[in-house]
Amino acid sequence: MNAYLLSWRLLLRQGRSGALGLLAAGLVVATAALVAVSLFTDRVGRALEREAGEALAADLIVTGRDRIDDEIARQARVMGLDTAEIVLMSTAVFVGDDSMLIDVKGVSEAYPLRGALRLADRLGGQDEPFIGIPERGQAWLEPRGLRYLEAEVGDRTDLGTTELTISRALVFEPDRGGSRFMLAPRMMVNLADLLESDLLGPGARARYRLLVAGTEGEVQAFRRWLEPRLEALELGLITVADAEDQTGMALTQARRFLGIAALTTVILAAVAILLSALRFASAQRDLVALLKSFGATGNQVMAALSLMLLWLVLVSVFIGGLGGLGAQAIIAQILADGPAGALPPPRLAPVLAGGLFTLLLAAGFALPPLLNLRQVPPMRILNRSLDNRVGLSRLLWVLPILGALAIPVIQLGHMRLAMIVLGGSAVLALALALFGWLAMIVTRLLSRRATAAWRFGLAGLHRRRAAGIVQVTALGLGLMALLLLMIVRAELLEQWRGSLPADTPDHFLVNIQPDQVEGIENELIRVGARNLQIRPMANINLVESSGELRRDDRMAGQINVSWIGELPPANRVIEGEFFAPGATGEVSLADMWAQRLGVRLGDELTFESGARQLTATVTSIREVDWNSFNVNFFVLLTPEAADLLPHQFIASFYLADGDGSVLRPVSRTWPNVSVIDIGAIIERIGEIIDRVSSAAQVVFFFTLLAGIVVLLAALEATRDERRHESALIRTLGADNPMVRRGLLIEYGIMAIIAALLATIGAAITGWLLARELFDFTYQPSLRLFATGFFTSVALVVGSGWLGNRSVLSTPPVRILRTG
Amino acid sequence: MNSPDLTMISCHSVGFSVDAPGGRLDILKDINLNLNQRETLAIVGASGSGKTTLLGLLAGLERPTSGDIWLAGEHLNRLDENERARLRRRRVGFVFQSFHLLPSLTALENVMLALEIAGLDRPRHRATTALDQVGLSHRMDHYPRQMSGGEQQRVAIARAFAGDPAVLFADEPTGNLDRNTGESVARLLFDIHREHGTALVLVTHDLNLARRCGRIEEIEDGRLVSGQTGPEREKFRLVDKG
Repeated sequence: MNAYLLSWRLLLRQGRSGALGLLAAGLVVATAALVAVSLFTDRVGRALEREAGEALAADLIVTGRDRIDDEIARQARVMGLDTAEIVLMSTAVFVGDDSMLIDVKGVSEAYPLRGALRLADRLGGQDEPFIGIPERGQAWLEPRGLRYLEAEVGDRTDLGTTELTISRALVFEPDRGGSRFMLAPRMMVNLADLLESDLLGPGARARYRLLVAGTEGEVQAFRRWLEPRLEALELGLITVADAEDQTGMALTQARRFLGIAALTTVILAAVAILLSALRFASAQRDLVALLKSFGATGNQVMAALSLMLLWLVLVSVFIGGLGGLGAQAIIAQILADGPAGALPPPRLAPVLAGGLFTLLLAAGFALPPLLNLRQVPPMRILNRSLDNRVGLSRLLWVLPILGALAIPVIQLGHMRLAMIVLGGSAVLALALALFGWLAMIVTRLLSRRATAAWRFGLAGLHRRRAAGIVQVTALGLGLMALLLLMIVRAELLEQWRGSLPADTPDHFLVNIQPDQVEGIENELIRVGARNLQIRPMANINLVESSGELRRDDRMAGQINVSWIGELPPANRVIEGEFFAPGATGEVSLADMWAQRLGVRLGDELTFESGARQLTATVTSIREVDWNSFNVNFFVLLTPEAADLLPHQFIASFYLADGDGSVLRPVSRTWPNVSVIDIGAIIERIGEIIDRVSSAAQVVFFFTLLAGIVVLLAALEATRDERRHESALIRTLGADNPMVRRGLLIEYGIMAIIAALLATIGAAITGWLLARELFDFTYQPSLRLFATGFFTSVALVVGSGWLGNRSVLSTPPVRILRTG
Repeated sequence: MNSPDLTMISCHSVGFSVDAPGGRLDILKDINLNLNQRETLAIVGASGSGKTTLLGLLAGLERPTSGDIWLAGEHLNRLDENERARLRRRRVGFVFQSFHLLPSLTALENVMLALEIAGLDRPRHRATTALDQVGLSHRMDHYPRQMSGGEQQRVAIARAFAGDPAVLFADEPTGNLDRNTGESVARLLFDIHREHGTALVLVTHDLNLARRCGRIEEIEDGRLVSGQTGPEREKFRLVDKG
């Protein structure tokens, strides 16, 4: 017989009888969740890369301490990339009699390769996007530079020996991002002018950069070509991954959060698919034996069942794909106008990947039980006792299951998180199975001493112990996901939001001179600034280390340092001891900075500021919470540095009214002081959390569906057997209350075990997720334990009860007759 | 003595054992029998005596653990499961005690399914004819749950004969039916058997049904005992009444 025809007959007929319902539901839910999250993360990912590219003004930057060999730029162009060159350095700039330290940036044609500059015709004028670079002989100066130097557009300035005209106010440059709190204002000049000035001689500490941009493939190809040459040429690389700021980090966390929700959904869907496939396969044994007695071969049966599953997957993928497309459109709508801006349009690839993954999920979890039907002997049709069930080949299970689980791990892109979710589920499943098994032994012992209803209930558990262990495990996993969804998610998001306190600093004042500190502090207190910190800051160079320094252009060169007697907030010492009272000649480093430069505890570092040198021993390494928005420094010195280094002060504080207008007197009284308002950034992060929380609802809807499918599939697994047994004891004279009590006892014991472990599992998973994903310590509330446990028990007993209510309403003879 | 080309079933010293919790369990021991074309054979015996297992072995659903069986000229011991399946689809029909109709298929589809598995041409036409023959032309589009037990068994008989098998195996064909319905189903079974010239092997508890067969073999504790004498054997020593 044609296997295609048979498979269609089976699909249509069995589908109509409802036997395939839960299997199809599991496949549809898995596809929908995967497609929704894959599409969404793909779109957000591309939006983030676009933003990150703008933050670099390029797709990739080659860095060096000398001018970058033109051969490299030529190679980039040969490979289809656009290039531009920039040189960065600090120098004193004079306008009339006033001078100040300025960050000079010489740029070549085509800069910026990504993003756009914004310029104004005069100080305080309306800024507009501008395409192009300063002409020869011209300079663009940042407004605060103009203010401090009391200069105006049209004034002359000197760049070393070269004379330039200030022609515009430089309001915005896309690659300023990471240096938001830079001490010195920016002056942008034509690269040729900077190269021809006498400023780039030996010891100038200039930083040279080659910017490249192109398609993703071209950039990757160039990177592959360049990377092996970096060390020999003494060059470094800056990629878009290095350019993410705090909002980017929040969005990345959001992607992971949704990814984990999708992974949880997939695990649940896999359990649902497996349970319903096992039940479906078990119910098909008579059919297979019958087909074989008619002369169908094992291969024909296998081909027909595999094809039937394939058709089912295709139909489910179509329905689930549509659901996923709709869901991701809702998610994108929720996040529209949000931090990622307008998302790029959806691509087909994630939809196809979602479909393929569902196919793999079906191959891993539904196909093995179906293929096992090949072993059903035709003799079963005459005598069921001759159907010795053959166990599944282990290989048949292991390979597709591994494959099916590997994909979301890859998709999540965060191995550690994926392992927490997968490992957590596996550990919980094992614990559930173990407790289930122990419960079966205990109930067996108890049932011997019990009276009728208890004996019926307890013996039922023991009689179906294999199925019972599977049920407890599946129920526990399903309940854990539901608890994570209902309680832990809300608590997590609440606490994540709480991790950014209401008085997070949202304003910075920079360039405060030592004699202005007292006056400014009093003024800030007067206008109601909260969480005020005023910290000294000096701009120095690291010139020498007693250990070996690793090249890292991003961390070397000029650096802002501070000094303090005690460990500042949002810092934690992870190595060594922080400065003892009265300590001198010591330095404490942020772990990221120490790692990148290869500096270790005990190394002696020599810094230089103008003609002064300062040597200090590294006595501690700190972990810094950069998301706290406090003023933090990579390098902290002991307080005597105040007497050795020329310095200014920086203040950070929170302003309750938020609009910053109360700070106008500060600007008027102390015109050299610049006010930086980062309230917008903090608001954006708050907004991301809110929007992610809403978007997560959509993904969690699928998790909820998957959880419900698992519960139903688990309870369905033994329903027929339960119905039959109940009918039997009713025939023997048991009344309905006794049967009801027996069923309640059986379901109640399973529910208590599953609910207890699921509650503990949800609390542990929530704690791990908070630590790994949100970087804070999650405290499961008593509410989780109380509500979670009792709701779970009620849910399982209630569903089991509803599923079996027909047992009591159907005449026993009918149940017995239908077998 | 039968001529070899007329012999439909032949078995020599057939035994069948299974592994049971208490050790090896011999279900059938030293079975010898032959059945010719058009011949009818009833296998009778107490519950658990092994008669249904013997039916399964003769039909090629399982291989004997000892001895040899030939079905329609093929040595079953030498055929693997797939080859035996192919033999069944060409030469064998089945009628079961509990009908074994697929609940999700109509009467017509149930008959067609067996014909499609056998790879026969015009399955719809053949199935329609077969259902017409058993008097169910008006019930073709009905599902099993919409039919009485007798009607369901008539569909099963139509299904068994539609492919024109050489041997029909019937396992307690009237076992789930009341007396009158059982009688009418039995009549139908033997009428069609005569019409198609098929060999018929049936397993039954029903002595009236057994007496319709040309031969009766009794099985007791896994052995054929029909050759024995004694008052219990007398009742089987009857001729084909059909």
